[in-house]
Amino acid sequence: MGWYALPTTVPWLTLAVVIPLSGALLVALTPTVARRVIKQLGILASAITLLLVLVIVGGFQHGVGNLHLQFEEARQWVPTVGISYHVGVDGLSLFLLGLNALLFLIAILVTSPATPRLKQFILLLLILEAATAGILLSLDLILFYVFWEAMLVPLYFLIGVWGEGPRVYAAFKFLIYTVIGSFAMLVAILAVAAINFAQTGQLSFDWTVLVQHPASGVWQLPLNLGAIGIPQLLFLGFALAFAIKMPLFPLHTWLPAAYTASPIPVVIVLAGLVSKLGAYGFLRFNLALFPDAAHSLGPALAVLATTGILYGAFMALVQTDLKRLVAYASMSHLGFIGLGIFAGNLLGIEGALVQMVNHGVIIAALFLIVAMIERRTGTRDRAQLRGLGARAPLFAALFLVISLAALGLPGLNGFVGEFLIMLGAWTAFVPLAVAAGIGVILAAWYVLRFYQGSFQEAPPQPAGFIEMRVADVGVLAPLLALMIVIGVSPAFFPAAVEATVKALPVLLR
Amino acid sequence: MTINLNGLGIDYGAILPELIVTGTAIVVLFLDLIVPAERRRWLAAVSVVGLLAALVATIPLWGQNRAAFGDTVVADSLAAFFNVLLIVISILTVLVSPRFLRALDLDHGEYYILLLGATAGMMLLAAATSLMTIFLGIELLSISLYVLSGFARTALRSQESAMKYLLLGGFATGFLLYGMALIYGATGSTTLQGIAAFTTASGLGASSNVLLLLGIGFLSVGLAFKASAAPFHMWTPDVYEGAPTLVTTFMSVATKSAAFAAIGRVFIATFPSIASRWYFPLALIAIFSLFIGNLVAITQDNLKRMLAYSGIAHAGYILLGILPGTAEGFSATLFYIAGYAVMNFGAFAVVTVLGSGGERTAELSYWRGLFYRRPFLATVMTIFMLSLAGIPPTVGFFAKLFIFRALVDAQIWAPLIVAVIMTIVSFYYYLRVVVVMLAAPEETTVERERVGISTGTVLGAAAAATIILGIFPAVVLNWATHAASLHF
Repeated sequence: MGWYALPTTVPWLTLAVVIPLSGALLVALTPTVARRVIKQLGILASAITLLLVLVIVGGFQHGVGNLHLQFEEARQWVPTVGISYHVGVDGLSLFLLGLNALLFLIAILVTSPATPRLKQFILLLLILEAATAGILLSLDLILFYVFWEAMLVPLYFLIGVWGEGPRVYAAFKFLIYTVIGSFAMLVAILAVAAINFAQTGQLSFDWTVLVQHPASGVWQLPLNLGAIGIPQLLFLGFALAFAIKMPLFPLHTWLPAAYTASPIPVVIVLAGLVSKLGAYGFLRFNLALFPDAAHSLGPALAVLATTGILYGAFMALVQTDLKRLVAYASMSHLGFIGLGIFAGNLLGIEGALVQMVNHGVIIAALFLIVAMIERRTGTRDRAQLRGLGARAPLFAALFLVISLAALGLPGLNGFVGEFLIMLGAWTAFVPLAVAAGIGVILAAWYVLRFYQGSFQEAPPQPAGFIEMRVADVGVLAPLLALMIVIGVSPAFFPAAVEATVKALPVLLR
Repeated sequence: MTINLNGLGIDYGAILPELIVTGTAIVVLFLDLIVPAERRRWLAAVSVVGLLAALVATIPLWGQNRAAFGDTVVADSLAAFFNVLLIVISILTVLVSPRFLRALDLDHGEYYILLLGATAGMMLLAAATSLMTIFLGIELLSISLYVLSGFARTALRSQESAMKYLLLGGFATGFLLYGMALIYGATGSTTLQGIAAFTTASGLGASSNVLLLLGIGFLSVGLAFKASAAPFHMWTPDVYEGAPTLVTTFMSVATKSAAFAAIGRVFIATFPSIASRWYFPLALIAIFSLFIGNLVAITQDNLKRMLAYSGIAHAGYILLGILPGTAEGFSATLFYIAGYAVMNFGAFAVVTVLGSGGERTAELSYWRGLFYRRPFLATVMTIFMLSLAGIPPTVGFFAKLFIFRALVDAQIWAPLIVAVIMTIVSFYYYLRVVVVMLAAPEETTVERERVGISTGTVLGAAAAATIILGIFPAVVLNWATHAASLHF
């Protein structure tokens, strides 16, 4: 935020990847039986990362730097093919980086010390944190792809080994969907670089180079089937990977299985962060590298995003399993983010960026609440829960705040993002904005029904529902604080990201 | 190419590494008569020393272009690249051998002699620039391997494997030789240089010369057989399964590498002017290999068979790099071969180490919960599986990336799309192994065995190389680029 200037000699961003990895190495070297030490190492590594990221956020200056990128580090990696190690941070990635560090700290904090094979669990979480940080920081397309794929392996094992119910099925479905998207993106990445080489003679996978020479041209389909614009084709290649990760309707079918099967620390990361990486990819690559294609294909994707809002909301309404309910709520909210992105105007994109952080905070908190309820009552079935609030007033109060943030009450963070997105969508596509508005109403319905049904109706049924403990409040505190801070000072985020968003090629066309 | 006018062009320096390996084989042959049975480890030690000497002798050949013996062999960077690769594989195999041989009661000196003989044959094949020397190399490596695959004399499976390999291999050799005869008939030369000169000189005529094209076709069948590319792969699963695992380990990486050295020299260096003729059949072989290898691997419950089919699939990826006929494509091929050698050797070596417990150990069910019984083996196996699947940060990822990049640059779309789809399929069977190893163990009795020091070092080194090359691929890629560029 430009509060101070950081020395440029320190590789700040590399450290954000290296610290979790070093933590993982230390965990690997710790004996399996030292469970307390393992968990504390995990907390320590992710806490240091969070501190580091906060230092970076504090030293970030508005609208400074080449393409508004700061803390850049560029080194040759595989020079013969034009691959480099290039990292940097701008308005698109800055706050997600913070969210990343925060959610991983929370995920490790809420990991039960009784988790089987705790060592491998913490190890994989730390590796995952390094990979997701790398995704947000990479400015070389191959480097980005390496981190993108590297993220898959820990997630696959975290779901497949520590999950519940049909975990192997869920993990495998997730894997196959993601890999299909990834390879489509890989081919698109190779093609982007090849086209750029043909057009400019410069062999590079560097985002800062490619963004200045948008691909153009038309590909004649064989057998006289017509022609398709090359930017559109490449746009779709990237879009498939990001749409699956987000997920965008109708590529969401892996989501309920994976979210429901994941253990709570994993689902916090998966819903809170990984889904946003898909949205981030749309902004960083689709909108920046293919502005023309974004204009021509944006409306179609906006329709899909709006469908996702309504579909997710309706599905959330009919769920009885609370984890599934929150999973579909998450999907519905991601639809808003998609709508904002594909509206393709300043308000929409700013709203989407704000909402990405908000969604991460809110969904993580909701999943934590579900986990706390399940731990106390042994069930996630909405029908079996009644009147919990009478026994645990503090629990009820905190849950109410989170619920209100989730349904977008003004004064809390959810409203800020949704409002900006609705404004952006209204300028771009009025009917979609109206449909999204219905989604807001549905959100109020399913969220309040969840809260009222389980906490308010008397008589209090499951006896001995325990009040929130200090540790529980401690985990929720940073999330609640963010909900209120963002809610009452809504201009904070948009101002910080405005310079970067205004420079996005899609807005310049 | 400089022609050595000194008589027949005798230049022993150019084939010094091959000579050293052959010499070591002969030394070991005699030592075997003197060394008492309980000291057979010495034979392994002598073999390693000889191989290391050959490695040192290879270094001066880097960057040279020494044609020798009347243009029948050449000492160039490509040969040096393969020499290093093959010698390293051979050394690693020898290092793992003594323990395994003793466990299976196969501790005979002939093993090392045959291994060295096969290595010499492969090195010769990589350096061969004449149909005669190609044949010589192939025969030397094949005959050694026929015997090696039947080395477990008392095991019926091993006998069956050797018999199958011998019969089918002999058949393939017939094709190869017939192809060579036809090419000689068409071009009047046995040296690749002479053949290339003929095809270039006859211009368009060469691409409609039926004799020549038929010859190339038969030659391809013989070479594809050695590289175990589909549809000439039928022997692979049975032989890999039946042969002693250690032999399979060596065979699966070394034979394939040497075969691709020859394929590169023949197709890219000798017949570039008729590339439009061999492009389609070669693309078809590659696509077949990708389909059959990856799809059949899914159904395998025996790890040796699974890795055999995965090897067929990888032959397909490697062939894809030949298709563009460019230096870029060929350097991607060379990088892939080096990466494949490291990761596949490692994977088979893990099967070998477990295999000392008996034949049942290659069944996937035996691997249940391996993470809790043998954490080290399971961890390195995970690394090899991820690398074979092509997940970063492992060498397998960059190997595939470079091949895909060469295809995109050459605008070869159909094989690329097949390769991409089949790579997705391959995730299933590679990751299945990892999932099985993570599953809860069935039996409660936990038998924890220690891995021997030399075996542990070899496995650790292979795993480390898999990851290090996956993070810093530039060095090996530069070597590959240099070795590949000599052709053009």
